[in-house]
Amino acid sequence: MLFSEYYGGYFACVAEILSEAVAGTLTKEKISEIVGKMGLGESMLTIPANLRNGNWPLITEDYTTPVRHHPPHPVTLLQRRWLKTLLLDPRINLFGLTDAGLEDVAPLFDPAKIIWYDRYCNGDSFEDEGYIQRFRLLLDAVKTHRKVQVVFDSHRGKHNSWTVIPYHLEYSSTDDKFRLLCHSEKWRNRTLNLSRITYCRLLGTFDPDDYPVPELTNETVMLEITNERNALERAMLQFSYLAKRTERIDQKTFRMTLHYRQEDETELLIKIISFGPLVKVVEPDSFASLIRERIEHQFQCDFS
Amino acid sequence: MAYSELIKNFEKIRSYMREFYVYGFKSRDEFNSASARVYDNEYRRVKGWLEGYIDSYYDETGKKVFISIDSRTLSHNPLYIAFRTKSFTDWDIVLHFFLLDILSDGPATIQECQERIARDYLAPFDAEFPDEGTIRNKLKEYEKMGIVRSVKKGRNLIYSLSESARLLPAWRDAIDFFSETAPLGVIGSYFPQKRGSAFEFKHQYFLGALDSEVLLSLCQCMEEQRGTELTIFSRKKKQELKHPVFPLRFYFSAQTGRQYVLGYHYAFRKPMFFRLDGIRRIKVLNADPQAEEYERIWPDFDRHLWGVSCGENTVRHIEMQVHAGPDEWFIVERLRREKRHGSVEQVDGETWKFSADVFDPAEMLPWLRTFIGRIVKLECSDENVVKRFHDDLERMRLMYGGER
Repeated sequence: MLFSEYYGGYFACVAEILSEAVAGTLTKEKISEIVGKMGLGESMLTIPANLRNGNWPLITEDYTTPVRHHPPHPVTLLQRRWLKTLLLDPRINLFGLTDAGLEDVAPLFDPAKIIWYDRYCNGDSFEDEGYIQRFRLLLDAVKTHRKVQVVFDSHRGKHNSWTVIPYHLEYSSTDDKFRLLCHSEKWRNRTLNLSRITYCRLLGTFDPDDYPVPELTNETVMLEITNERNALERAMLQFSYLAKRTERIDQKTFRMTLHYRQEDETELLIKIISFGPLVKVVEPDSFASLIRERIEHQFQCDFS
Repeated sequence: MAYSELIKNFEKIRSYMREFYVYGFKSRDEFNSASARVYDNEYRRVKGWLEGYIDSYYDETGKKVFISIDSRTLSHNPLYIAFRTKSFTDWDIVLHFFLLDILSDGPATIQECQERIARDYLAPFDAEFPDEGTIRNKLKEYEKMGIVRSVKKGRNLIYSLSESARLLPAWRDAIDFFSETAPLGVIGSYFPQKRGSAFEFKHQYFLGALDSEVLLSLCQCMEEQRGTELTIFSRKKKQELKHPVFPLRFYFSAQTGRQYVLGYHYAFRKPMFFRLDGIRRIKVLNADPQAEEYERIWPDFDRHLWGVSCGENTVRHIEMQVHAGPDEWFIVERLRREKRHGSVEQVDGETWKFSADVFDPAEMLPWLRTFIGRIVKLECSDENVVKRFHDDLERMRLMYGGER
């Protein structure tokens, strides 16, 4: 059963409250703090009241409990089967795991029966030993705040050796690739494809407060969608990974405002142009010009 | 009934969250709600769960509610929260903590549990005692979930807590990653979450998470080689339709987030695609002894698909030649990585040819358009496809201020 109160926010909240009560440290304020931190939007109106009014006789008036142990939360069969399924995914090699503790359960599904039909076919080599070792080292560096020396080949074939301050590993499902998000020595944001890194080693630790994750700055583009051939729904889904707002102009025309990162402009342009005449860039004109330019080039091609 | 932020059934909220997330320009009157109060309650719930991601604006037709999320700023899918809102009875929550506490001391029978609840747990309160049947049902439910196990001793069942799976610490990172990238990732989100994540995600489509119950049921049918009856809501016909199918594969899009199941249709006697977000209900049918026969159909069927359209089940040939200058290696790389079942070959120093044999070349038009600016030749055995391409290109020229 996927949708069960066992996994719910209320059970988690009350478990935390009981843990405090078992430890003898529960107070009225502590209950509010836990519910505020772990509860859903309106849990503050229900959880403390149900504990107080005896609907859930778990906490006494003096904030003790008849419960004697910190509430256990055993892993369910569903969770174990999901973990077992992951062991069939090639990317699991990156984490060095075995089926220890999962020998007696069956996977939920066979990942080979899921076809990612538009995923690019030049994804990273998740079975390559060298790649796996470098991935693990970089993951360790991100988690433990260590500087790293990386040696990599740029896409133009230039050999580089940098000391970088890593802050995240980024994965793209479309590309099926990992990238290292980091600061270079010159304090510039860098994105390095893991597949291009040929060597890396851990260096000293750094204080993450000295190297905060950079603030994101977004660009804005306004699109006009003509709802023919189901373009509206297709655009809504295609761009749903971006912050957006859509308004209806008339029965057939919609205006969508998208926020994107400058570095993703070409990728976004390609997605917009794929809708043909059904999605038009209204603003800014600099973005519209990029599409205009491609159309003009197309008409200059000796095209048949 | 008084409002509660918890829900009994996921189906209604699944539909509302999808509407707020995908569309976000509909007023309350445009929702197919039983009443304005139903809309207001669902909106209030989603607003409470997704604070910071849900917004609204007014225009002349009323208030419009929308969900807007920049997926690159998040390490966890915020829509998973909807799965943590199942309602329960007072006895559900009380027995949950009492029974797991009793079994933490060691194995016990139902009667022993009942006695201890009355004596040790409810004594300080002015509360009713649960009957034996209520306790039995809860233990049975937890046994089915794998939380407790039972052994028979004489005429009694003795219950104990399941052994905790001894998971390696490295599972933490794997769960963090696969919760966001693997099908049914919501199950990963049920493990304790640590603060902060080493991972970020690009091209992340959150919406598919809402179809996890449908996906799980179909996985079960697939694993047990059972047929299934899908109840689909047809947006075109605006009504529910039933389709009996044998599920063969799932087809997921990494570029749009759309999720489909491919099933052999018992009535139409051919493979057909169904979008998971359109499936309202699933009825599990019997195991099908012809499973292997349907399976044999799949490889030949798959190799002529571009996406998820079968067209008229006739294979059409399509060829496109593009220009790629000496410094434009990325164009060739794009063709190679995005060709799917097609092939790529070099025609001359600066011209590359992509060709494919597919059921529905019209489905390729969006991808072909991404090469606008450098296409030097386009041919297809379905002339309508080439005509559509040229007509659309002309419309684009006029749209962006070009001259006829």
